Amino acid sequence: MRTDDPSIRWIEEPSLGLSGRMFLPLFVQGLTTTARHLFSPKVTVSFPEERPKVDNPLIYRGVHRLNRDAEGRVKCVACFLCATACPAHCIDIVGTESPWPDREKYPASFTIDELRCIYCGMCEEACPVDAIELTSLLDLTGRSREEMIFDKEKLLSVYDQTKDTEPMPSARLGGTL
Amino acid sequence: MALIFVASCRMCLVESGRKDPQTGKVTMLPKLVPACQTPATDGTVFITDSDKVRQSRAMVEEDLLIDHPIDCPICDKAGECRLQDYHFQHGQRERRADIRPFTSRRRPLGDTVTLFVDRCVMCSRCVRFTREITGTNELYVTGRGSAEEIDVLPGFPLENRMSGNVVDLCPVGALGDKDFLYRQRVWFMKSHNGVCAGCSTGCSVNVDVNQDHVYRLRPRENPHVNQWWMCDEGRYGFHHVHSPNRLAGPHRREQEAFVPADWTKLPAELDAKLRAAGRVAGVFSPHMTVEAAYLWATYLRDVDPQARLVLGPVPVEGEDEQFKNGFTIRAEKCPNRRGVEEVIAHFAGRVEAMAELLADSELSLGAIWFGGGYKHDWIDTDTAERLAAAAPLLIVQDLFDSPLMQRATYQLPAAAFAERDGSYVNHADRLQSFAWAIRPPLGVREEASLAWLLLGRRGLFQSREVLDEIAREIMFFHAAAGGVPDVGVDLKVNRLAAEPIEQTARTV
Amino acid sequence: MLELFAIPLVKIVVLIGALMTVTAYLVLLERKMAAWVQDRRGPDRVGVPLTKIRLFGLGQPLADGLKFLFKEEFTPRHVEPLLYTLAPVVTLASALAIYAVIPMGDTLPLKIGASGANLSMVVAPGCDVGLLYIFALSSIAVYGVILGGWASNDKYSFLGGLRTSAQMVAYELPLGLGILGVVLVSGSLDLGKIIHQQADSGLWFAFTQPLGLVVFVVAAFAEAARLPFDLPECEQELVGGYHTEYSGMRLITFLIAEFMHMVTVSFLIVILFFGGWHFWGLTGSGPVESWGQGILRIGVLMAKVFGVILFFMMVRWSWPRFRFDQLMSLAWKVMLPQGLLNLALMAVLCEPFIAERIGSRHWGVFLLISWAVALLAWLVTALVQPSGPENSPQRVEPSI
Repeated sequence: MRTDDPSIRWIEEPSLGLSGRMFLPLFVQGLTTTARHLFSPKVTVSFPEERPKVDNPLIYRGVHRLNRDAEGRVKCVACFLCATACPAHCIDIVGTESPWPDREKYPASFTIDELRCIYCGMCEEACPVDAIELTSLLDLTGRSREEMIFDKEKLLSVYDQTKDTEPMPSARLGGTL
Repeated sequence: MALIFVASCRMCLVESGRKDPQTGKVTMLPKLVPACQTPATDGTVFITDSDKVRQSRAMVEEDLLIDHPIDCPICDKAGECRLQDYHFQHGQRERRADIRPFTSRRRPLGDTVTLFVDRCVMCSRCVRFTREITGTNELYVTGRGSAEEIDVLPGFPLENRMSGNVVDLCPVGALGDKDFLYRQRVWFMKSHNGVCAGCSTGCSVNVDVNQDHVYRLRPRENPHVNQWWMCDEGRYGFHHVHSPNRLAGPHRREQEAFVPADWTKLPAELDAKLRAAGRVAGVFSPHMTVEAAYLWATYLRDVDPQARLVLGPVPVEGEDEQFKNGFTIRAEKCPNRRGVEEVIAHFAGRVEAMAELLADSELSLGAIWFGGGYKHDWIDTDTAERLAAAAPLLIVQDLFDSPLMQRATYQLPAAAFAERDGSYVNHADRLQSFAWAIRPPLGVREEASLAWLLLGRRGLFQSREVLDEIAREIMFFHAAAGGVPDVGVDLKVNRLAAEPIEQTARTV
Repeated sequence: MLELFAIPLVKIVVLIGALMTVTAYLVLLERKMAAWVQDRRGPDRVGVPLTKIRLFGLGQPLADGLKFLFKEEFTPRHVEPLLYTLAPVVTLASALAIYAVIPMGDTLPLKIGASGANLSMVVAPGCDVGLLYIFALSSIAVYGVILGGWASNDKYSFLGGLRTSAQMVAYELPLGLGILGVVLVSGSLDLGKIIHQQADSGLWFAFTQPLGLVVFVVAAFAEAARLPFDLPECEQELVGGYHTEYSGMRLITFLIAEFMHMVTVSFLIVILFFGGWHFWGLTGSGPVESWGQGILRIGVLMAKVFGVILFFMMVRWSWPRFRFDQLMSLAWKVMLPQGLLNLALMAVLCEPFIAERIGSRHWGVFLLISWAVALLAWLVTALVQPSGPENSPQRVEPSI
């Protein structure tokens, strides 16, 4: 940008007073702040012993789950919208014709690379049938990369594990399925 | 000729009127007219973007959506759907009609096409296609008013050899291609200009790919070759590209067993073996590109100035089939017989057929090279046996295993049509160039780039550069000099003066 | 023989062992302080190895050391191998050798050898040129930096080395000027004598030479490359610096040496300006008579040094880093004149007030003058404000 650009708003740097020019008062001020923080309460959470407090599990962005519908089938219709929205390209879906008469398409395979995922929650936003959700499970660990690639069964099992503590919001919000 | 206009969807309604030539006064019609079907004559006035027109379009759009299920997320057309586009353009904020179930009724129309009944907007393009283009008349409209549906008569499914085109024609997602259905969303795919390698018609196609996987072929408009259409054989004929049976990686025979070879050392090794072999013959598959054939012919003639250049077997199946509009599916199931013939003729003076080579009772050569590859079985065991006996060094570059491949000294995997850079010359001597749409699988090396290496040329294989060289060297290809447009070039333009009038007349 | 070799050898071994351990734990303290200042807890996991006992993270230095020990000691192909290896050695050696003349206390009533004198807490007791020795060695430390940057044969290291050496050379001047006032007044270069002088009069030089103290402390921060003068290794803005190409043990050698510089200057600040082991009414000022007194003097010295180190660590999180031109203008335009002024003032006041002619009766006048001059000098500097060059973007009237 050129310095004679009219859109620049010029601000004058406030001039230092005598105390500022003397360095020392400001120096003491800085030291005081530091000293105050030295003894102020600490915010660190000692993780394994102490669990971080999740305020609202419904909006927490932890491990994904694939929701089931009332009959226990996977809710996903394999529309790829989550994969489209995903900025990290961590969702891989293979869609195929569904075996159920009331549904055309369902995911033959649905995998999320939890290592690639950045937990932004865009998939949850994009999903037209509220099938994919982020739970409040936050301590996700594994011993290999393969283990961290979650397939459909694993994602459904996350739902089974969390459905009681974190009910699907779709029923309350008047979901379409 | 494309389909006739029936003005069935009414999305193009415009205001129309006449201007009196004497007074200059414009008289507008009170009623809107469909633009697609209203001819413009001297003095006609059209208003295409007034409030009235926009309002009318919005109403028509809403009307089309009354019966339409809201299932864009699972509809394969989403992303290239005209109705979706119109909805974004004119759509109401809320749908005033009842929200219908998420799914659409569906039924198969034939082996290739599924009809999603509720998505249909009754434009009748598919019905007109079977009447005007193929002339097979399978589809018709049943019912009246809101009960109108597209259907086939019982026992007469949609099974003509161009049936896949109705899927492209459908402006909404009502007709689904069974081969492509649910496989990939269209916005993930990139379209590459390609040429169908199914028969010698050489239809212009779009190769739709995502992450080095071909998901579908669609016809690309080319008034000189295929207009807007392509046959089902070509449309679904790409699956061999991703066949698990394709050869992967080069192999060298060592005592009756094949051991993997290394591409980095192979060219030098092949070169040394070929130069030491004595008499050399090259068999060129009509599936080869012009550039690959030229580079290989150059190389083989460099190795042995008397090298025999042979045109491989030309696969022919049945008879040419012509449809009502003139679209022809050729019996010759290879894309580039003409191009390879002309290249061989340039080097050898005449085109030697495979049969001639086999007919030679005292066939004895140092080495035979087979290149280009075939999609299907192309050689029987006896022929392979005879060729193997004729030459101690047998280099075979092909897509799939074959009796000949089993007897080869070197097995080299070949590239499929979507992986190649180059040009094909169709039955009517029209040359079309194309670039690769997907990268070949690991371990596969394109024929042309291997020849490029063997010739010791610098850098990477450049098909455009080679084609320029061919156009300079070979009179037949002269028209291809200086660039080939998307619709290709007619190589016969140079011979207009030299040939009798009646032969040139049919080429247009 | 015993006095000449055995005792110094024992002293050296004990000193180096203690120094290394203390440095390791000071690094832990530094990390803890950093965490506390930022409302964190800091490293608190590593305790006794192979158990679950955590000990508030006291095992961390061991783990850090082991980590560096087991890291690949990578030598890039483009370096000059001999100098590349020599550089950290030079730096660490000079940093350690300084401790030969630094008293760790006064003496202990432990009679060894023929002389029957108390055991001195200095490796080389009675070194008349102690301060000169310290200066010589701290100048050699600059060589380590230059060699490291130069031998790495890499532009980042090279620029880092240049940057560092420029800073060190620039601040050596005010450092020396700050000390000169002390030397002038005490009349000795021996650190032990300087302490005794302060203990005898009960008047630490910090009170009599405030200007010298400020100049020396600022220069000490710069010499030790501590924030706000840590340009040699400002990882955030500029690439690491002269040790960019180093890894493993060689890197930690550099880092230890740098940390030890801070400990050294802390000792110097305490010894030169804060009375060393002296504290009013606690330690006495005469020769050591009992074990209790000797140990108390050690304790007082160490407590003072610890306090200065804590101050160093606090300052690190209180002030942002200087820009290089500001750093240089501070050295040449502020610290150098003030140091000269302090020297001149001491030279003038030394004769009438210190040299026992007027005696300690008039120390009040002495204090008054020196503090008044210090304040005045500081005020004048603030008003004249010879800061860095004006390089902020200037407004240009839009041309029509």
